Amino acid sequence: MSGAPARHGGAGEGAARTSPLRALAELRFRLTLRRLRGRSGVPEIVARAVLLVMALPAGAAFALLAGTGAFQAVRGRGMPPALAAAALFFGVWQTWTVVAVTLADRESFDLRRLLVYPVPPAHAFAYEMAASYLGDPFALFWSLLLLGAFVGAAAARPGPWILLLALTHLLFAAGVVALVALLQEVLARLLRGRQARVLGVAAVYVGLVALLAWGSSAGHRALLRSLAALSSARWVAYPAALAAEAGAALYAGRAMRAIPWLAAQGVTAAATAWCAYRLALSDTRSGVEGGAARGASGGSGWRLPGRLGPILEKELKVLLRHPLVAVLILVVPAIAGVVGWRALPFIPAEAGEVVRALPLFGFALYAQLVTQAFWLNAFGWDRGGARLWFLVPLDPAEVLRAKNAATSLLSLAIFAASAAALFAAGGPPPAWAMAAALALHLGIGPWYRAAGNVVSILNPAPAVHSLQRGGNLAPASSLAGLAIVSAGAALFAPPVLLALRLDQPWLLVVAWAGLGLVGAAVRRAVLPASARLLSRRREALLAAVAGDGT
Amino acid sequence: MLAIETQGLTRWFDGKAAVTDLNLAVPEGAFYGFLGPNGAGKSTTIKMLTGLLEPSAGRACVLGVELGSDPLTVKRQVGVVPDGLGLFERLSGSEQLRIHGQLYGLPRAEAARRADELLGVLELSDQAGKLVGEYSHGMRKKLALGCALIHAPRLLFLDEPFEGIDALAVAGIRRLLVGLVGRGAVTIFLTSHVLEMVERLVTHVGIIHQGRLVVQGALEEVRGSGTLEELFIRTVGEERAVPLGLSWLGEGPPR
Repeated sequence: MSGAPARHGGAGEGAARTSPLRALAELRFRLTLRRLRGRSGVPEIVARAVLLVMALPAGAAFALLAGTGAFQAVRGRGMPPALAAAALFFGVWQTWTVVAVTLADRESFDLRRLLVYPVPPAHAFAYEMAASYLGDPFALFWSLLLLGAFVGAAAARPGPWILLLALTHLLFAAGVVALVALLQEVLARLLRGRQARVLGVAAVYVGLVALLAWGSSAGHRALLRSLAALSSARWVAYPAALAAEAGAALYAGRAMRAIPWLAAQGVTAAATAWCAYRLALSDTRSGVEGGAARGASGGSGWRLPGRLGPILEKELKVLLRHPLVAVLILVVPAIAGVVGWRALPFIPAEAGEVVRALPLFGFALYAQLVTQAFWLNAFGWDRGGARLWFLVPLDPAEVLRAKNAATSLLSLAIFAASAAALFAAGGPPPAWAMAAALALHLGIGPWYRAAGNVVSILNPAPAVHSLQRGGNLAPASSLAGLAIVSAGAALFAPPVLLALRLDQPWLLVVAWAGLGLVGAAVRRAVLPASARLLSRRREALLAAVAGDGT
Repeated sequence: MLAIETQGLTRWFDGKAAVTDLNLAVPEGAFYGFLGPNGAGKSTTIKMLTGLLEPSAGRACVLGVELGSDPLTVKRQVGVVPDGLGLFERLSGSEQLRIHGQLYGLPRAEAARRADELLGVLELSDQAGKLVGEYSHGMRKKLALGCALIHAPRLLFLDEPFEGIDALAVAGIRRLLVGLVGRGAVTIFLTSHVLEMVERLVTHVGIIHQGRLVVQGALEEVRGSGTLEELFIRTVGEERAVPLGLSWLGEGPPR
């Protein structure tokens, strides 16, 4: 009813009535502006600009590749149309969904806060979805890629059919955004109860062990054949499958055949968004925060020794009750299983043992990467509880040590599960590769934690214990994380080149273990300075995570 | 002996004074009510005395120990219910209490025993396994009070401890606190806006206004023949009248 005159009061007769959604948009804009003008505004602006500068060329390069592929497919050169469309949509769908579910770091409104206003919840949810899309740098990247493919296809054969292709891309993007929202709601709901979470993790491990046992008795090839049969279940990835069918028909010049698939895209995207909305609404109205863990037992606690024991117990319990952790423990090994199944068999033996072990090394690093929201923002999760670290008679170094130990145990657990899944699907690696991967994972950890402590203290951000509502790292911390992860990877990369050149895989174990020992010594040496920094910066830290102002 | 003694304690925020030249003298064993209107500097003072904020100037001595020189010794002996509380939302109530006790050096079993006892006294036993994030505001306040007590401190800082707690629970907590002071077990430094209750509880009072301490002493002495509320209004300004206007109230919301 935007533009209708107000019947009463303050706005005055005849004055234009404000649309609630416009007011929400203004609220969001002003909050962002206020944040950017605040204490951490300049680093945030710089970080966003740098991220954009980095994302745009990468996105443009991939867009160019996608455009070239689409151009050739439409012209009848290169890949067949069906394969080109499938590669584009399944590729984008897989990465978009996985990144959004495991590394969600988007800005969005909390539906619960909006219910108090006279805004239809469905409108607020639609607004939230749109805002999450616009505020997500990864979504910008995927959109650029889709745009590149669209431009390539349109340039290959200009004509009215490109309107249908544009619609295919738009419905695909809408379908993926809706599916990500639905997956986050479903995962948060499933993983809310501790028992459900434990059962879920147990089911994954039992499944992996069963696969291993069956694979060893029926033979590796039989296992691969049975898994390949699962590819017929591609409709599970329905936004990609439907878009691929529509895209293939359009690339091949059969526009009429694309229309039913387009209709199906529209219907499924709307149905998915509706399901996500209903789940979000019922969750919001239930009064339980998304992802809240329930039924935490009391008892006399864990028998962890020393002064660090109670802090470590607190840190581990908080981590284990976070829905993102449960998702990581389930999803990352699942990705490892897919890599073991689809990628490992295609690496030829002639490539050498080191190259064949690269996926394992990748997961050794990835397990550190996916936990960065916890070690780059160690105090953001404590919120008001962070006050306690400065009220109790504790050396701040002990707090940092316990926080580092907890996140290290978490990433180690994710890595162990991923390695197990990789072995189960792709066969066990040689002993040296396992030792090297462990040395890489454990060796790079102290470097990351040492740097992460400084970032956590200098740039804390209040984090939310929910899958649906992201924003767990400040942009400057995201950028710092990118730099830290890259620097760590660069530090640990030269031994790979040396091992390849000398054909001595065991070099990796020695080199990475050595770098790890140096890292542990560095972390130990800088810990007192980090602790002093923590003590000095306590006011700014509490202002950021606990809202303590003047 | 003084449990808290400050000299010239001052705190500035962005060039604006929140607390100026504060000279507190809180006798050991006292139940000290620290009063003042909103924004007067009460919470800032407690934050400085508990180590959450660094003073811009001045010194503070808590339980005979210079706060700036040996903060860990001071922290071991005090319990705090801070403004905004200091609870971890993803711990259960009993975990929060037990781990809190352990952080003060209590053995695990003893911390668990005291946690159970405190949960009973604070009427939270039924909710012991529930996550703190799911507690109501009043339940959190009670739990924070339990955390402040679990290591048997010699000095308690309570920032608005009764805000949001039901009347029955307030009565129970009041009895508990008065009993503790009566036994000489603890000194209490409390802020509250509920003047009637403060008047029934405290032995000493200090009133802070616009960052400056304007009244301090034993309750009987500073109150004289009037009430604490009268003293408060006399000290910090006449009762503010609700401004007239707001003529649009009653017209109903826009349709």
